[in-house]
Amino acid sequence: MPNASSGTRASGPTTARVVRTAALLALVVVVLLFPSLAPDPFILSVGVVILSYAVLATSWNLVGGFTGYISLGHAAYSGLGGYATALLILRSGLNPWLALVVGALIVALIAIPVGIASLRVRGASFVIVSIALVLILQLTFQSWHTFTGGSGGLRVPRPFGPDVLRPEQHERFFYLHAVLLALALLTWWAIERSRLGAGLKAIREDEDKAQALGVPTFAYKLTALVTSAFFTALGGGLYALWFGYLDPIFQFSILVGTYMVLMSLLGGVRSLFGPLLGAVVVGYAVEVFKSQYGDTQFHLVATGILLGLVVLFMPDGVIPALTSFLNRRRRAASIREVSAEELARQREEATR
Amino acid sequence: MSTSPPTIGSVTTEGLTKSFGGVRAVDGASVAFHDGEINALIGPNGSGKTTFFNCVTGMIRPDAGTVTYRDRDVTGLAPHRIARSGIGRSFQLCRVFPRLTVLENVLVAVQPHGLLERLRGMRNPDDVARARELLARVGIDHLEHAEARDISYGQQKLLELAGVLMGDPHTIMLDEPAGGVNPALVDRIADLVRELNAEGRTFIIVEHNMELVMGLSDHVVVFDRGRPIAQGTPAVVQDDPQVLEAYLGV
Repeated sequence: MPNASSGTRASGPTTARVVRTAALLALVVVVLLFPSLAPDPFILSVGVVILSYAVLATSWNLVGGFTGYISLGHAAYSGLGGYATALLILRSGLNPWLALVVGALIVALIAIPVGIASLRVRGASFVIVSIALVLILQLTFQSWHTFTGGSGGLRVPRPFGPDVLRPEQHERFFYLHAVLLALALLTWWAIERSRLGAGLKAIREDEDKAQALGVPTFAYKLTALVTSAFFTALGGGLYALWFGYLDPIFQFSILVGTYMVLMSLLGGVRSLFGPLLGAVVVGYAVEVFKSQYGDTQFHLVATGILLGLVVLFMPDGVIPALTSFLNRRRRAASIREVSAEELARQREEATR
Repeated sequence: MSTSPPTIGSVTTEGLTKSFGGVRAVDGASVAFHDGEINALIGPNGSGKTTFFNCVTGMIRPDAGTVTYRDRDVTGLAPHRIARSGIGRSFQLCRVFPRLTVLENVLVAVQPHGLLERLRGMRNPDDVARARELLARVGIDHLEHAEARDISYGQQKLLELAGVLMGDPHTIMLDEPAGGVNPALVDRIADLVRELNAEGRTFIIVEHNMELVMGLSDHVVVFDRGRPIAQGTPAVVQDDPQVLEAYLGV
């Protein structure tokens, strides 16, 4: 709760704020130092992958976390972002960075009709529509050889010249992803505390009730989806510029969309940094499993088990679970001063 | 609380009809609620009161008929537009946003026009002050930091009312405000309704608690099988033979 400090609880929020600021600073320092601490280019490239996942998951959370509409098909937007960037460079000769932004804007425009069609249905129906979109795109991009390169894939020109060697490429893209992640987090944070955010969270809790209170639910859901698609496309485009190669099978994959959901759920969809934490844990685990067990499907089994454990034991995600655990410990460890407000609350509970 | 005929209707329906499958939940209902008064809508279970409510507030699109609110046709408008036109409502089984705090629950109702206005912080001082005022008015301001799921059912009912009031509606539709709450709270809710009515707000209340309805309302509409069978002051309705047969089972 960003503004819980305005109440009568005098000491708690300031400590919490100090802890939060310190944690944020530590995070920034770790991100900034990571490239120089990474022992070899491979580890650095894993760092890029994890940051890319963090961008995608945080972008997914702009719609999934706020509205509760679980899209399993967000790979549609990252994939389109990648292809849009590549095709704008290859076919229109656009500057790569301009192509990245224009591509994401195009994807945001595409998300409007998709949203108009799919946000009319709730729950499982919405999930199914979101999956269908990815599968349709995968088939289209595989078959349309003349334009997309088809199933043979598409080579994406590198934005940096040949004199920039691989480790330095990794380092630059690591920082670029970090900047994009910061932008996505900032957007989430700004929406979270706005009236728009209040309306979106109300939709997540009870859509009919939100409407009855005057929240223009459809417009709000669409705003969230388009914003989310924009950032997801930027994430997909930036990854494409780094990786240098696009294949419809991997771009429009249900698995990528599922990872975004898993990471967000794991970290906590109601927390700003939930998807980031989830991306670090899941992204790292996936890379470890892949390097240990090669091309087997073992990493899928492991991710499945992880998701099951989270849903069973930490349904709100790691961050809320940790916060409440710490709160309980703090309460148990010391005799607290009880404010008038809390006394009143306790009295209220006793007479209930 | 005058019983003189009102000059304009609050909510007026003409031939309102809604079927679910083969069941006509609301069957050509033509009803006029009185502006500035406390109106009650009563009827046996399954007589179509809640469906009627949902048709008026836009939650359900009627199959036929019109809904007029203060001389404006609002038939088939989206619920948030109807809310903005000045009709606030509560739900039959009280509905709050469980994972939002009590204060946030009320602040949700501040949804102005324009993207820039909507991107402004939800906790701007004016809104928060007004939300706190409303919470104090219904008597739960001490709970503002609690999540709505953690407060009692009765408190949730009061919270729901505070949320509705945040939208500053001219007309307030309450679906069973006394359902499932203790007698002391029923009195409290009745007092609040009287106070708010004295300030000029119109009420349309669906309620099963006859004592409350008869003591509180100026105008009563009785529903049976999806249409009104009697309308008038509580005294008149109470003695209507059709009402006695259909509703009171005499």
